[in-house]
Amino acid sequence: MDAEDGFDPTLLKKKKKKKTTFDLDAALGLEDDTKKEDPQDEASAEGGAAAEEDNLDLESFGKKKKKKKKPFNMDEIEAAIPSFGGDDVAASEEPEEEEINLDMDFSMAKKKKKSKKKELDELFADQADDDKSEDKENDEDNSSTWFGSDRDYTYDELLKRVFEIILDKNPDMAAGRKPKFVMRPPQVLRVGTKKTSFANFMDIAKTLHRLPKHLLDFLLAELGTSGSMDGNQQLIIKGRFQPKQIENVLRRYIKEYVTCHTCRSPETILQKDTRLFFLQCESCGSRCSVASIKSGFQAVTGKRAAIRAKTT
Amino acid sequence: MSIQNLNTRDPFADAIKGNDDDIQDGLVHIRIQQRNGRKTLTTVQGLSAEYDLKKIVRSCKKEFACNGTVIEHPEYGEVLQLQGDQRENICQWLTKVGLAKPDQLKVHGF
Repeated sequence: MDAEDGFDPTLLKKKKKKKTTFDLDAALGLEDDTKKEDPQDEASAEGGAAAEEDNLDLESFGKKKKKKKKPFNMDEIEAAIPSFGGDDVAASEEPEEEEINLDMDFSMAKKKKKSKKKELDELFADQADDDKSEDKENDEDNSSTWFGSDRDYTYDELLKRVFEIILDKNPDMAAGRKPKFVMRPPQVLRVGTKKTSFANFMDIAKTLHRLPKHLLDFLLAELGTSGSMDGNQQLIIKGRFQPKQIENVLRRYIKEYVTCHTCRSPETILQKDTRLFFLQCESCGSRCSVASIKSGFQAVTGKRAAIRAKTT
Repeated sequence: MSIQNLNTRDPFADAIKGNDDDIQDGLVHIRIQQRNGRKTLTTVQGLSAEYDLKKIVRSCKKEFACNGTVIEHPEYGEVLQLQGDQRENICQWLTKVGLAKPDQLKVHGF
């Protein structure tokens, strides 16, 4: 943590870090997908528990990791695709191919570190060895080819070396960034047959650092219902909803209104400026407008006769 | 030699081109509403007015085996309304038919 704070948060650094984490995850995900072996999966889940906890920050509502794994990976990949585009624009002077190569190298170097360090994931390491034995050898060759000779080292080699040193010096970072942001799962109970109570609504609004009213507006607009706060600070929503469904909506809220769209850090402030909401990031300083909450078209679901009676 | 600044350039060239190959402008909002019991409604708002919504709803009804209608709304224009939770179906159908790209679809609800 402190090591990360020490780093100057320049754009380049951020980008690199983010990419590495993404790559590792993606690699893990791919391996999981290709090889659906339970032991291996478990081993990776155990070994990469630290890494996952860090990245899962917002996604995990304190639930089982294994269950979350697949959707999480999908999310990561989805979220990372636009970020790739942005990065390319940001660093257009670097050729694309080179970047991709670099990423591969980072991820491999990381894997190597991990397998060396952790005895827990023997299986995973074995599997990785099977997969990437030649790659690893190449890696080793690459990293030390210029030691004996006096030829010019390439940019790739230097970059890799720098990252290896960084990872050696602070092992915390090997797991990736650490935006600790643990959320409790929403407590959703049925009230009677037609209403749902969201008991820890205020707590969640507080942990997200958002005005309860804003979150309330979003929830009601997304669910297409009406609702209100009751006496002991819980939200009563009209309609039947499962905790899972509320969680989905909350996740969408976090994605849109809490995490920074540039660096995905949750340390953001939502400001209202000339009728528009702006998301100001505390860690990267970006500022972007977010969509306003609109409930859109609402179909008539109640009794038409009652509506007619009310209007006339 | 010509001065580049003085070249005539059609400012609407992009717009015209955009209309040609762009199949749909703006987002298509797909929402779900709960009715009584386990029943739900799916509404599709934001489809371009150039399409014949009646034809769309007719083929949707056949495809998803549900009833549906087109509702004229003063603010949001014509809105498609289908019975049941057809969010998945309508997303797939709209992309398959080519009425909207996947990134233009915005699915709301739980």
